[in-house]
This record gives sequence, C-alpha cells and structure tokens, in this order.
Amino acid sequence: MTRLLRVELTRLLSRRAVLVLLVVAVAIPTVIGVATVLNSRPPSPAEIANAERSLEQEMESPWFQKQLAKCEANPGRWGVEPGPDVEQSCAESMGMTIHNYLWWNELQLVEERDSGSGLAVVIVLAILMMLAGTTFAGHDWASGSVSNQLLFEPRRPLVWAAKAVVVTAVTGVFAAVVITAYWLFLGAVARSRDLPVGDGLLLDCLRSGWRGAGVAAAAALAGYGLTMLFRSTVAALGILLASSVAGGVVLAVVGIGSVWNPGLNVAAVILDGATYWADVQCPGEAALPGETCSVERTLPLGRALWFLGVGLVLFATASVASFQRRDVP
Amino acid sequence: MSDLVIETTGLRKEFRSLRGGLRVAVHNLDLAVPAGGVHGFLGPNGSGKTTTIRMLLGLARPTRGTMKLFGQPVPRHLPQVIGRVGAVVESPKFSPNFTGRRNLQLLAGAIGAPAGRVDAAIETVKLIGREKDRYKSYSLGMKQRLAIAATLLKQPDLLILDEPTNGLDPAGIREIRETIRDLGDSGVTVLLSSHILAEVQQVCTSATIIGNGRLLASGTVDELLGMGTSYRVSVPDPTAAAHVLARAGFAPAAIDGELHVDADRPADLTRVLGEAGIWLTELTPLRADLEAYFLQLTEGEQLGQDAEEAVA
Repeated sequence: MTRLLRVELTRLLSRRAVLVLLVVAVAIPTVIGVATVLNSRPPSPAEIANAERSLEQEMESPWFQKQLAKCEANPGRWGVEPGPDVEQSCAESMGMTIHNYLWWNELQLVEERDSGSGLAVVIVLAILMMLAGTTFAGHDWASGSVSNQLLFEPRRPLVWAAKAVVVTAVTGVFAAVVITAYWLFLGAVARSRDLPVGDGLLLDCLRSGWRGAGVAAAAALAGYGLTMLFRSTVAALGILLASSVAGGVVLAVVGIGSVWNPGLNVAAVILDGATYWADVQCPGEAALPGETCSVERTLPLGRALWFLGVGLVLFATASVASFQRRDVP
Repeated sequence: MSDLVIETTGLRKEFRSLRGGLRVAVHNLDLAVPAGGVHGFLGPNGSGKTTTIRMLLGLARPTRGTMKLFGQPVPRHLPQVIGRVGAVVESPKFSPNFTGRRNLQLLAGAIGAPAGRVDAAIETVKLIGREKDRYKSYSLGMKQRLAIAATLLKQPDLLILDEPTNGLDPAGIREIRETIRDLGDSGVTVLLSSHILAEVQQVCTSATIIGNGRLLASGTVDELLGMGTSYRVSVPDPTAAAHVLARAGFAPAAIDGELHVDADRPADLTRVLGEAGIWLTELTPLRADLEAYFLQLTEGEQLGQDAEEAVA
C-alpha cells in the first residue's frame, strides 16, 4: 500500500491541471485577504479631514437644517429621546456621522469568520479541491491509463483507496495550510491595528478554518468518487453542477426539511453549528389544528458531521463497488 | 502443478445493451497455452481475441467459465500471479502529458521494481534519447515500444501481446518480431494475438485459431499446417482413381487432368489407391501456409461486428 500511495502522490502532483488548481487555490485567498485588509484599513488623516468637510457641508445645507428643526420640535416621531443632546441625537438618527462619509468597515475577525471572507475562502477552496479530485481521476479514465495501472496492481479496491487517500490527504493538508496562513495573516493585521484578537478569538477562527479544510478534503473525495463512478470529468462536473442548482429546489418541492440540506450541514460544520427555520405546530390553545409557525433552530456540529459523513461513506461505497465490478476499457 | 500457462474452460462473455440486446463475444472457449515458446492467438477482427485477453487480465469479467494463469484460478488469484505477467492490450495507454520515462517510473513504482529496470527497458525497446519527451509527442510505433517496455518492467514469465506490431514501420516490425522470438527462446511464454497470419507463421511455435468467439483449431503450427491440407494427385488413370477415392469417402475434384483431394494425412491417399492397384506418379500438398487454412476455417464469418468495440 505504501508503494501505491507513493506512486499516486507522484501522479497527483505531476498532473498539470492539479498544479494549476493548487496555484489558483493560493492566489484567490491571497486576493480575498488583501482586499479584506485594504477595505478595512483605518482612514488616513487626509481621508478623515475630507469626510469631516463633507459632513459639515451636508449639515449646513438648508434641507438638513429644516429636517433637524422638525426633529428637535418633535423628537418622538423621529425615534429620538428628548433631552439636552437632542440636536446631536437627531443628527445621528439622520445618518450625519463621520463614519457614513468614510466608507470604511473595521476589521472584525468574528464577522470575517461567520459571514465574511473566511467563509468565502473555505467555499472557494472546497470548489477548487473538488475540481482537483475530479480532474485527477478523470485524466486516468480519459487516457485509458487505468487499465495499465490495473495490469500492475489488479486489486481494484486497493487502487481506488490509494488514490482516494492521496487526494483527500493532499487537498486537506493543502487547504489547511492556506486557511491557517489566511487567518494568521488577518490576525497579524488586526493586532497591528490594535484590534481585539485575544480570548481565543484567533484560535476559534483557525478551528473554523480547519473544519473548512476538512470540508474541502471531503469535497475533493466526493469529486474523485463521482468521477470514478461515472468515469468522466465532464459527467461528474455536470452532475455536481446540476445537483447544486436543482438540489435546493428539489428538496423544497419534495418537502424535505432544511435540516437535510447539504449546504446547511456544511455551514454547520464550518461554523460549529448553524441556525435554520423550521415549521412547527403553532403553540397555544388559540392555534388552529395544522397551523404552522416558523421557529429558529440550531443544527449542531455533531449532527452535521454525522449526516455528511454517512453520506460520504455511502457514496464512496457505491463508487468502489462500481469500480470493482464493471469492466475497465 | 499444470504445465499450462494459460487455461480457460467454457469461457463465455456476453454484452448486454441498454435496449435488452445480447451479444456473445466469446462462446465457451477452451484455450490451452503450454509453457515456453510463442503461442499465436489468431482470429479475424471481432473474433473475441482481445475480450479473452482482457478477461484473463482481470479487466473484464467473464459471464461464465473458468480461467487459470500458471495453474492459479483468476481473477481470484490474479494478484498472486500478475507479477509474472506482462501485457499490452489493444493500443498503448499512458498519461499523455507525462514523459515516457515518468510513465514507466510510475508503473515500476507500483510493483517496487528498481529504477535500473526502467533504464534497461528503455534501452531494450530502443527509446533512448526520446524517453524524456512527452508521451503525446510519440509516434504510434514509439508508443508501442513504450508499451512493450512497460511489460518488461516485471521481468515476466508470460507475455501477452495484443497486435504488438500495429502501426510499426517495417524495421520496427522486424525488431519486435525478433524480440518476441528471443523472449520465447529465453523461456518466456508469449501469447501473441494477431490477425496477421504471416506473423504467426513466422514467429509462433503453436497457435489457437478462433472465430466469432469460438475455438476453431489449436495445436503446433506444423500440426495446423498439416490439418485439412489439399493434395494434387497425379496417376496414370485419373478417372479410375477418382472412383476409388470417392468410394473411400474422399471428395476428389478433377482439374486439368489431375485430381485435387482434401485429406488429413497423405498416407491415407496412398494406401487407398495402392490397395486398388493404382500407383501414384506424384503427390503434392497444395496448401502449405497458415493463411489458406485460416481462411478455410473462418470462411463465412460475420466480420462486421467488432467484439472489442462493445467493451470500449
């Protein structure tokens, strides 16, 4: 098995398409990281002065003065508490703060992790690693070299497993390294800006990233398994595209709950749990029979891992069985 | 232990189409290849040669029947014997973007062959100087030579070559045939699948002829050449000789004052005519090559359907 692993590792890393995908998998997170840092960089004194000038001009305008007077006369209608600071409160309620003229969002690691660039990096890596797994297997089928390989090692499950281990391990480690570098970079930038990264926040982000790397490795394994099943890169990608486009619609039409949605489960793995809306019988005696209400629920990490893990194992089993039984061209 | 290197019994392969159609590529084939020498596996295109080879090598599953390599049932015990079998099946299949050497290194790595064996194989097939070029830049002849180099990585006891001279120039064909003969002389058993009759006759010591997936004949090349041969019989009285031969069960044909008679053994003709007091002046075999025998055996075969196509 060690020999096979070594051979498959060489084969994987010698594939030009795989190498291109790995380069892209470094380039895109780099661009995302640089863009995130640039978009959140603190404003320069010149930018602040410019913003203050714009704010002053706007506050001196007749339109604003008229609106301010209305607010001061009847602050309750503007949602402002009466008091000595009513003028300032009215101005703020009308968006007259310097932040609205700076076009700047402070770098917040929590936001980047839960809904920002961190999540985007994981999604990009998962897609690219899936493509790597697909093209790795697809090339063997397209060139017909699978049959040649089987003339040297006829134990098909062993061949399948060796390729699968290499694809999963390489893409998982690669994604973990990229994601680790990404969060360490953002952490260093936040620290340099005296922003909070302590209390385990950076470690939480890294953990989320590592779970994302696991998702990327699983995506690579799924892409590989699907290609071994259908023996064609194009067929595998077509099915993946079709299922990603139509999958959600089918789930909704069939009436399967969100808890079975693969996308939600992936999010739950990355984010250590994800919230979703479920339709339940409305509580209380006043509710009509069959009347449903939407309630927010949490899908825990453990259940999402179980769901995706079982799905992946079933899928891999079908792929191995097909490879074992069908004639090889 | 059996001295047969390859043995199949009642081997059958069916292909079913999605529309429910059934096509039988190999019909209950009994194949026996003895150890040593070069054994020809002869048949027209679509006769089931490649399908049989693919089943022997575990690339296709037989519908029925048993197969043995070196006395071991396959595909169950294929992992135990595959290290002794080198094979080129149909066209060479390698990764097109890798160099010839890289392709060989990957295959050698899978069986733990030493690096030196890659160099030796490249040298044997005369690919030195081109081994660092990408496989996709190779001519068909070079691809064939690389495929043969791959089989040599195992230092096999059995070499299965499926149409190995396809696409080669005359010099390449001669080199490959010499290599095959040398391998056969060195103790390696070679199964040479071919539809080129002259090739089999020149290179092989024994042969099996199949048509439409069925065994038509098998034996040494000398035996096959002797089987069913026609003879030109010259006698003083052809009419009387024709009557005598016809009574004895032969079917003589009078052509230009001579008789042409099919017979398994020429001695039968001399005995029958001698007992009738008719003495031969000349007895000449008319078919002395495998081609005539092959065409006689495969006459009327449906050649339109290529059994191998269904696999692809």
